[in-house]
Amino acid sequence: MKPVDFPGGLKAGMRAAVGLPTVVLLGSLTGYGALAHDTGFGGGLAVLSTILIWGLPGQIVMAEMYAAGADVLAIAIAVGMANMRFFPMAVSLMPTLGGGGLATRFAQAQLMSATSWAYVMRSSAPETPQARLGYHTGFTCVCVTVAAIATLIGYLGAAGLPKPLAMALLFINACFLLLLLLDTRGRGAAVAVITGVAAGIPINMYFPDTGLIITGLIGGTAGFLADGTRRQEEP
Amino acid sequence: MTAFGPATAALVVVGAIAATALWRALGVFLARRLDPQGAVFRWFSFASFAVLAGLLSRLLILPTGDLASVGLEVRLGAALIGVAAFYLSRRNLLVGVASGTISFALAAGALG
Repeated sequence: MKPVDFPGGLKAGMRAAVGLPTVVLLGSLTGYGALAHDTGFGGGLAVLSTILIWGLPGQIVMAEMYAAGADVLAIAIAVGMANMRFFPMAVSLMPTLGGGGLATRFAQAQLMSATSWAYVMRSSAPETPQARLGYHTGFTCVCVTVAAIATLIGYLGAAGLPKPLAMALLFINACFLLLLLLDTRGRGAAVAVITGVAAGIPINMYFPDTGLIITGLIGGTAGFLADGTRRQEEP
Repeated sequence: MTAFGPATAALVVVGAIAATALWRALGVFLARRLDPQGAVFRWFSFASFAVLAGLLSRLLILPTGDLASVGLEVRLGAALIGVAAFYLSRRNLLVGVASGTISFALAAGALG
């Protein structure tokens, strides 16, 4: 039985997060903590960046550009480009969550990650708005907590981490995202994903800054068109 | 170019936080005007899937920094092993992620 109210959703979300998402976060954020250490951030800043940026690709861009001596504004712009995906993700997530207050919405958008978004979009997630709000809250609060601890562990243990292992920890994230997207259901989403992966390669090559958003425009439209024809067939 | 130091590191983190929070907040504002059953909303969910897919091709095929120092064949090979393990284990995400990542670590260690 799927939960229908906030407390039920909260428990279900926490249960969903304890498991694979926790394992992936422990691995990938340990990798980030080590990277943050090696690029010269303080431990507090490393943990703060995980909690408040809360988007690993952008965090990696930040650490690498800082290490390369880039300007503060240039780093902010590059991180903004890398994390632009949160805009369409927030647009598509918010209307499905209960709780209309603006403060609630901002909090949920701030807690949202690629993983939480993908989990809430899965067919196994609760369906009523209040239960979905609880589910996303429980899921993300566990994830942020685990990620903050993992960042600190990686930061403190950076010196003892062999290089291949450190790189494998950063690779976990790509592998997890790949399998989450393979697990996508529905023709429109499948078309959007396949188009996004295929178009993403040349587009990201020629437009390293805005490539992701162009990919989103093209793949999203392809998925929308594929889904639209299906809907007309089904009365 | 900016001098290295604690104050600059803090500024860098604050700037990165603000740049990310901006997109989240814009999404919240636009979502308030949308009908969840409507076409615009549906387009945005497909666009989100496509953006994540684009991010995936970027992480696997065009990574930056340390991951770029490992060959493309290692990254793609490890990803394929992960996918194969995922399907062989009847879509078990943990088995898939663990197989892909361990393959990557072994290959990166052996070749690096």
